[in-house]
Amino acid sequence: MLTKRQNLMETIKGGNPDRFVKQYEAFAMMMKTPITRAKPPIGGEIVNEWGVTTRWPEGQLGAFPVHDDEHIVVKDITKWKDTVKAPNVKHPEEDWATAIAEANAIDRNEQYVTAFVAPGIFENVHYLMSMEEALMAFYEEPEAMHELIDYLVEYELKLAKEFIDHIHPDAIFHHDDWGSQINSFMSPDMFEEFFVPAYKKIYGYYKENGVELVIHHSDSYGANLVPAMIEMGIDIWQGVMTTNNVPELIKKYGGQITFMGDIDSGVIDFPEWTQENIAEKVETACRRCGKLYFIPGASQGLNVSSFPGVYEATDEEIDKMTKEMF
Amino acid sequence: MSKIQEVKEKVEIGKTKLVPGLVQEALDEGNAPGEILQAMVESMSVVGEKFSSGEIFVPEMLIAAKAMSKGVDVLRPLMAGDTSASLGTCIIGTVAGDLHDIGKNLVSMMIESAGFTMVDLGVDVPAEKFVEAVKENENVTLVACSGLLTTTMPALKEAVQTIKASGLDVKVIVGGAPVTPEYAAEIGADGFAPDAGSAAVKAKELVA
Repeated sequence: MLTKRQNLMETIKGGNPDRFVKQYEAFAMMMKTPITRAKPPIGGEIVNEWGVTTRWPEGQLGAFPVHDDEHIVVKDITKWKDTVKAPNVKHPEEDWATAIAEANAIDRNEQYVTAFVAPGIFENVHYLMSMEEALMAFYEEPEAMHELIDYLVEYELKLAKEFIDHIHPDAIFHHDDWGSQINSFMSPDMFEEFFVPAYKKIYGYYKENGVELVIHHSDSYGANLVPAMIEMGIDIWQGVMTTNNVPELIKKYGGQITFMGDIDSGVIDFPEWTQENIAEKVETACRRCGKLYFIPGASQGLNVSSFPGVYEATDEEIDKMTKEMF
Repeated sequence: MSKIQEVKEKVEIGKTKLVPGLVQEALDEGNAPGEILQAMVESMSVVGEKFSSGEIFVPEMLIAAKAMSKGVDVLRPLMAGDTSASLGTCIIGTVAGDLHDIGKNLVSMMIESAGFTMVDLGVDVPAEKFVEAVKENENVTLVACSGLLTTTMPALKEAVQTIKASGLDVKVIVGGAPVTPEYAAEIGADGFAPDAGSAAVKAKELVA
């Protein structure tokens, strides 16, 4: 039997996996580093590393940046330098002790020690200035947007160096949502201009420094951005939603990139979830996407579910499909 | 090319800095404010269609709406009290328990560009607040309710049913990622739209 890591590698290289990769099983996510994003607790509010106020109201599935006049960080993109200050990434060695111990405890033949980065460059831009203002600024103030993105990239490269120096990750799991469920937020041309060079630098740096695998999370439509994802160096697109026609993407791009998802969290992960419903969605995904260049899983951007039991129930159903199809 | 035609073209491609000047030039040439407004509404209708078909994306739609809004600023003082071009007031909000506002904001911009006066109640709006807003505002013809989460679909249903049960003479349109035309019909909404461009088309249809 292959290890989880070997099985994933066989899957993404078009080899001979002996089972489906079960969601995030091959990734040992390192969440306790001193440079992991700050996130408000449920019901709480924080000002994050960049000065963005984020709230997670009770009953919601995630945190939201606050974008009223009082809280917005960048009010005028041409003056972003006045208000955007990159967080410090240098921490005393003792702050890394837990993460280093966790990384050392992982059998790297079994799993990838995986660093986690969120929010991504696009998300950070709209956290700082609001989605609407950010999207309009790509047209109205492109030079300032390029400058701001360059600044965020410089920060991410420093962040990457810290991860690499301290925990020597085998993989990077990087969030950046690039679309709604029906389309990408921006055109492939605009994306190519603003984000491809940025991510080529970031993901290129990780790979030049021993990181084998780049997993990018965008739980959205993004089929039109797949060539750009390949160019950036993404190995696995996690969060691919059913609206992308995943079987067609596998046919077209399998071998260059692997698709992880095809089970939309919204249709399996809700308070009255049922095993039968999850079974149906998992079976549909596994049968239509097949054994190679595909990892079945919920579109959720971490190895958790919003409602207790859903993640584990999804794993169980993937095991059942392994028995049927392998 | 006529000035009105130029206004139309520049709105469509989102020339926010040029449109106000062109609107003024169109006025100076003797075009009626209502005629210029109608030209811009037509531009936004093209923008909406292109967005729905995937030909353009959110930034292009946003700057077109901004360009129109800047053009309308020039016309507004000349059209005070003239309601002939208005399709009435539309109350819009994201339903209780749901804090997503981006999609709702895009829909609001597009419905406004179609000729409605918008009253935006924001996010996490209780069902009764939609009803109160219909009563408090003049000439309300439409209520638009947004819900982005499967978990807030019951709140969407409650909002629609509360508005309908109030007996007020308004149409209700719904939308959001998990909403389907079947679900919209099941909960008693008058209309459904899958995206901001289609929402503007549907909104006009509903109040026609």
